[in-house]
Amino acid sequence: MDAIEAESLTKYFGELLAVDHVNFRVKKGEIFGFLGPNGAGKTTTIRMLTTLTRPSKGTARVAGYDVLNEPLRAKQHFGVVPEVSNVYDELSVWNNLMFAGEIYGMSRTERRSRSDELLSVLALAEHSDKKARNLSKGLKRKLVLGMALVNSPEILFLDEPSSGLDVTSTRLMRDTIRQLAQRGMTVFLTTHNIEEANLLCDRVAIIVKARIVAIDSPENLKMTLDASRSVEIAFKKDPSGLQDWLKASNRVNAVRKDGDKWKVFTSNPSEFLDSLVNYLERERANLLSINTLGPSLEDVFVSLVTNAGKGG
Amino acid sequence: MDMASSEVRIRPVRYLTAAWAVARKDMRIYYFRPGNLMFGVLFPVFLFFSFAVGRDLPVEILIPGLTAMAMFFGSSSTGAMAIPTERKTKTYERLLVAPIHPISILLGQTLGGFIFGALFASVPIVLGIAWFGMPVASSPVLVLAIALSSFTFSTLGIMFAAIPTESPGDIMMLLNFVRLPLLFVSGIFISLDDVGDIGLVLAAISPLTYSNDLLRWAVGGTSYFGPAIDVLGIILFAIVFLALALLLHERVRKSDRTAGKRKRAKEAASA
Ligand SMILES: Nc1ncnc2c1ncn2[C@@H]1O[C@H](COP(=O)(O)OP(=O)(O)OP(=O)(O)O)[C@@H](O)[C@H]1O
Ligand SMILES: [Mg+2]
Repeated sequence: MDAIEAESLTKYFGELLAVDHVNFRVKKGEIFGFLGPNGAGKTTTIRMLTTLTRPSKGTARVAGYDVLNEPLRAKQHFGVVPEVSNVYDELSVWNNLMFAGEIYGMSRTERRSRSDELLSVLALAEHSDKKARNLSKGLKRKLVLGMALVNSPEILFLDEPSSGLDVTSTRLMRDTIRQLAQRGMTVFLTTHNIEEANLLCDRVAIIVKARIVAIDSPENLKMTLDASRSVEIAFKKDPSGLQDWLKASNRVNAVRKDGDKWKVFTSNPSEFLDSLVNYLERERANLLSINTLGPSLEDVFVSLVTNAGKGG
Repeated sequence: MDMASSEVRIRPVRYLTAAWAVARKDMRIYYFRPGNLMFGVLFPVFLFFSFAVGRDLPVEILIPGLTAMAMFFGSSSTGAMAIPTERKTKTYERLLVAPIHPISILLGQTLGGFIFGALFASVPIVLGIAWFGMPVASSPVLVLAIALSSFTFSTLGIMFAAIPTESPGDIMMLLNFVRLPLLFVSGIFISLDDVGDIGLVLAAISPLTYSNDLLRWAVGGTSYFGPAIDVLGIILFAIVFLALALLLHERVRKSDRTAGKRKRAKEAASA
């Protein structure tokens, strides 16, 4: 049994298709990332998995429990860090943690020791008596994480965990997530930060316009583009017939114009450069700049996003 | 950190402990909110005195009326404040993703208003006894009357809070739209002996009527309907309000109506 299983998960808001037949499985102990641009359907997917939004179609199982038929059982096994830091502003940090434990049915002693532990792990101890309304955005985010961990869930959902955090807080958040996963917790997170997905996730699903367009490890996703490393070239003045020549070149897989630059995807940059040199001599063209680039997760992302865009 | 899962079984007592946790949280956060104090405390007190002054009513009529009104406004205001506020801050979703039954959430919120109203109601009662030498014909019935009334009025507030808004003002306004007219047909300002047939029909559909009537019986020993009908009436309203509250809250929860405001909250939070 996998920790999270989504089958044809679909959500319509009226006419709007927010999540379109999404399928994926998250293994126990895995950090699984949902990467996509704004409005792609990341939050809606998390909300369906955490029982807050009813799917229009499809099913999902979390910790083996169907979120529609056995929501209470599923809820016992996960914690949630939502998009918005939802703490009780009027309660102190300590009382927020204690209340979070209380609604999970933990005894007072359990809650006390667990809250103490979380305060020290998350470096919140010195803020324990502060009202949550007086916390900075980063501290609030940590408190929300603490509240989600109170009952030591097996599965943790995080919707843009590091959004709005500065560099230090972001690093602490990511380190904490990594440690949790090392101790066997399954982590499902959403992000539109490619670097975050790359650094943190064992596997990434790229979601664009309500659909998953790729699921794989960050490394494998980069490999899919490895066949087409890219060379970026810019001319003082584009020679006529350049585009046709590029497209006809037998080493070139794809050509894209980025501003005044041409981005040429090729499986073999050095052979392409050789033929480019010949071409330049023949056409007496002046090269302004040239750059060879390895694939980044960003390239994968951009290529998938643009391809999904073309498909409608 | 110990990440071993702590398996929580849902025992019947969990329904109550979860409800109590929610109630205590609401008590801490919302009792002293300006909106609650304004509509729940000051409003009924001023309203009452503006009617009672100069009418030379006996204390056995005056205090039960004031007590019933205090609860009618006080108990129903807490939920009406808390629920939309928590929708806005998204803390409501904290309860929805916790392994607690929707009934526990509703019951907890009801308890919050119930305790507020009951505490608030004891002020005129204690003042009446200590200061004006108010008699008490039956203290058990007095306690019962306060408990039943406060609970029922609290469920009224919870029921109205199902309206999928994030603004407590919206709920308060709609609630007053109902509370104010009911106030005038419930035999507090005009005795039920003097209202005629139509007046009695109107009085019968107001929970405040039975509350006021039962309190009069508990204090002065006389009432219009008698304690049995009053108790039944109040309980009936509690059941109807609670059932409707559950139905409406569940319907709203499943309908994406409140989820639609997420984007705004997100933008506000990151601003
Ligand atoms: N309650 C709702 N009612 C109507 N439309 C909604 C609702 N919630 C989300 N949507 C729409 O569904 C689509 C997906 O939204 P969602 O919030 O899941 O995107 P996201 O990937 O989380 O975006 P972001 O990166 O901005 O958080 C968007 O077009 C959004 O406007
Ligand atoms: Mg989102």
